[in-house]
Amino acid sequence: MKLHEFIVRRLILLIPVMVGVAIFTFTIAHIIPADPAAAQCGDKCGVVVDWDDELNEPITAYDANRERLGLNEPVWEQFRLYILHLSQGDWGESITYHRPVSDVVKDAAPITLEMSFLALFIAYPLGIMLGIVSAVRQDKMFDHLSRFLAITFVSLPIFWFAMLLQLYLATGPENSGICDPIFGTEGGCFPIYGRHDPGFTYPEDGFVWFYPEGGTGFHLVDSWFVSDSKLSTLPDEWGSRWLLFKDTLLHLALPCIALGISSAGGLLRYMRASLLEVLNEDYVRTARAKGLAEWRVVIVHACRNALVPIVTILGFSIGGAIGGAVLTETIFSFNGMGRVAIKSIQYLDFNVIMGVTLITSMIFLLSNLIVDIAYAIVDPRVRLE
Amino acid sequence: MKRWGDGAEDRKESLRRFYEANIQLGYDMFRSWRIYRRSFLAVVGLLLVLFVSTISFFADEIAVEHPYRNLQDTEDLWSIDYEPRRAHPFSEECDWHEQSISLTTLRRNNEMSVVAESDEKVGSDNRYYRDTLTVIEFIELNDDIGYSMNMSLLSIDPNNASIIHVSQELFDNMSHSTVWITYEFDNSDMHVEWMPEGYQRCIFGTNNQGQDMFSKVLYGSRVSLKIGITVAMLTVTIGTIVGSISGYFGGRTDEVIMRICDIFFAVPGLILAMAFVTAMSGIESFTMPVSFMILFPLFFLAFIFRSYSVSTFTSLDETIESLKNSKFSLNWLLAVLAVLLVFEKITGMSSSWHRLFDYSESQNWRLLVSMLVIVAVTLLAVADKKFIQNTSFTGAGQRLSDSMDWTNPWKYLTLRTALIFLAAWILWDFSGTSGDEIVIIKDFDRLWKIQAALIFTGWPGYARLIRGQVLYVKEMTFVEAARSVGAPSGRIMFRHILPNAWAPLMVAFTLDIGGTILSASGLSFIGLGAAPGTAEWGILVSESRQFFLDDPHLMLFPGLAIAATTLGFNLLGDGLRDVVDPKNRR
Repeated sequence: MKLHEFIVRRLILLIPVMVGVAIFTFTIAHIIPADPAAAQCGDKCGVVVDWDDELNEPITAYDANRERLGLNEPVWEQFRLYILHLSQGDWGESITYHRPVSDVVKDAAPITLEMSFLALFIAYPLGIMLGIVSAVRQDKMFDHLSRFLAITFVSLPIFWFAMLLQLYLATGPENSGICDPIFGTEGGCFPIYGRHDPGFTYPEDGFVWFYPEGGTGFHLVDSWFVSDSKLSTLPDEWGSRWLLFKDTLLHLALPCIALGISSAGGLLRYMRASLLEVLNEDYVRTARAKGLAEWRVVIVHACRNALVPIVTILGFSIGGAIGGAVLTETIFSFNGMGRVAIKSIQYLDFNVIMGVTLITSMIFLLSNLIVDIAYAIVDPRVRLE
Repeated sequence: MKRWGDGAEDRKESLRRFYEANIQLGYDMFRSWRIYRRSFLAVVGLLLVLFVSTISFFADEIAVEHPYRNLQDTEDLWSIDYEPRRAHPFSEECDWHEQSISLTTLRRNNEMSVVAESDEKVGSDNRYYRDTLTVIEFIELNDDIGYSMNMSLLSIDPNNASIIHVSQELFDNMSHSTVWITYEFDNSDMHVEWMPEGYQRCIFGTNNQGQDMFSKVLYGSRVSLKIGITVAMLTVTIGTIVGSISGYFGGRTDEVIMRICDIFFAVPGLILAMAFVTAMSGIESFTMPVSFMILFPLFFLAFIFRSYSVSTFTSLDETIESLKNSKFSLNWLLAVLAVLLVFEKITGMSSSWHRLFDYSESQNWRLLVSMLVIVAVTLLAVADKKFIQNTSFTGAGQRLSDSMDWTNPWKYLTLRTALIFLAAWILWDFSGTSGDEIVIIKDFDRLWKIQAALIFTGWPGYARLIRGQVLYVKEMTFVEAARSVGAPSGRIMFRHILPNAWAPLMVAFTLDIGGTILSASGLSFIGLGAAPGTAEWGILVSESRQFFLDDPHLMLFPGLAIAATTLGFNLLGDGLRDVVDPKNRR
């Protein structure tokens, strides 16, 4: 099978799953004990808006809403409309935010993604490196220690670990903090919560609120690339951009450590197992017999092959990180998808619930697709299945 | 009909087999333990799990107070009297009590003394009561704006240490209407006795409601273990059934099931669970209309008929062919179908249902009737096999007594019997009755909702695991052999394939208990799990959030408990993986 055939095949396989997820969210929205028609009109549901000539009855706002939302139609018709609206980008209106769901999700998704990606960015090098050392020193002290640490990291509740980080790294000595402010923050070394310092302003300009509008929503990127009239008039533009970047990064540090640590633990174990398997292969023995240095054998010959199965886990860890971000966002007060989901669940704002479920699954499927294609490029045997 | 004496040989044989199996089991366990104990961490994990199970079992004995003390609102009575203090671990404030003394009331009643009382406790009858306290020493006396006053204004009654006397000076001082007294009371029965002298006071501190955290954390282990084990067991069951069907039959079935699993995998676990919990928020109890009872005999009939026909004939075509050939059998089938149709017709209408079964409102009566229907249909089905084979009709009773060997009870001393009884007991325990519905789970509370959500999200993982395992075992020779002697699919699946595929299942099961405890506490933490105030570790951590910078002990211990329990199950699972690893079987 050629590569492009493989990609097309994977894309086709994606369609039933997407439809399935849509059916799933649609079912959820129908089971949720809340009436969308009543939710939209609130306390004005009884207001008469029209007169039905045929039945000679008044039409209340509630009836009109039911008609408009298509709730009087049969279920399959409703589902058709739902899919139609989804494909047109109309994801409905949020009751709690009073905005279209697509806007709410568009604002929230980059925050979660930024956090998840950065967490994996921490987790992968850490897990892979420790895994390599662990495998090379199999059954030595370091191996036992790092395996124990790995399994402990996997067992730590994210929310508790995040709170511990807040307690010890983000507070000063007057609480339980163990580190001094070294990055120019107040309290401990890291900011305790929030996405930005609320007091953060552009240097030498007292009143400007911090972030430039527009851009991708990933503030780590935006701080460098978004052009802003305010920023460009400042004398030290790159200095202030650096400040913006540093502020974002510092605020992201603790949530990302909390989120990444459990992935790192899992990765360490996978990497160790995978490398141990590869180290028994014939070509590694050949490489050793050639008289190559041990580090060269491990890094160049063994690791290349041991890393291949690790790539497949990447897709799953993105899903895990997005799920875990629900907890870290709650604790560190990031208004990402997790918090949006929790808030919408509290108010039974089903449109938002559906939107968040859909968008997370889309991100997850897309990242898995990319990973699979990358895998197929790295390891051509996969295409043969 | 067999007599009791006829089965003597069989009984002896079965008993011998039973003993042999037990000896074999003991030997296997011993060998597994020798592999298991090689890993120090695995032993630590086992000890952790045993420790948590033990404290959850003996929580009533170890805990110093009821975990839900002072939980329900008693605002009307008592809220102004008691200001709960968040005492740190080992601090003496655990034995302090703050109480208001309403001088206005005393003056009205012309009394000079009050009784020192505890805040509410829950007794064994689940009712609230208050104790009189033995006052040891006064700590502080404040007026109602918080200024401290001279403590000599009050005195303890020399004869009865529970009575506090108000001095004449305070009684006459009309500028005070209420005073607040903090005193140390005799709290020794709430001290943790196995701790060394001087450290016995509330070793985990108290929370913002003055509740002992030690007791709460202890009782939290019950909730967590219950969730973990229930969810893991049910996910394993569902996943095994679905996965083995998928792996065994392959083809289109496999394709469909795996695509459904893909849908579940497409949504991140925690978000999927959140959506499920929300979707179920309106469900109060898990019920099923009584008329669904008709499904049981139908399924039963279909199952029996299919397994018999498959074991008798090699293909469906042949079965149909023989059905056509044997007129008698076809008539019988038609008769059974007609009876079933009539039954369905009657049960389809609720009024007729009432007319039929209105003798009693009790669930047992309905169950009995349904059971009778099942038995009748089964007998017909069993007898029907004879007709298909066109052999002589020896009677349904004969068939049944042949298949159920009542002279040899030892034959049924198996794990399967135990499992059937366990399942029946669990069903009986959770089910109940309400009007026209069969209640499967009486109180579908928030705990059940997270359990259901975690089961919903968890089963596809197992299905995939088992499918892979079944695909691997299916190709082995003994399965081929079983198929060649004409064993039915169900038998091959459950008797030949699954026993050889259970090893990774057991490991996954153990690991899943830990994972479930983690996710359940995470769900509780964000407010979707157990109800606020429950002694559940996730809830305890989330309730501590507003105080945790000042009082880290509130989050430290419950979080540590979650981590330790999860770690225990993960280490146990890793150890078991080493045991079932074929490389280690020497």
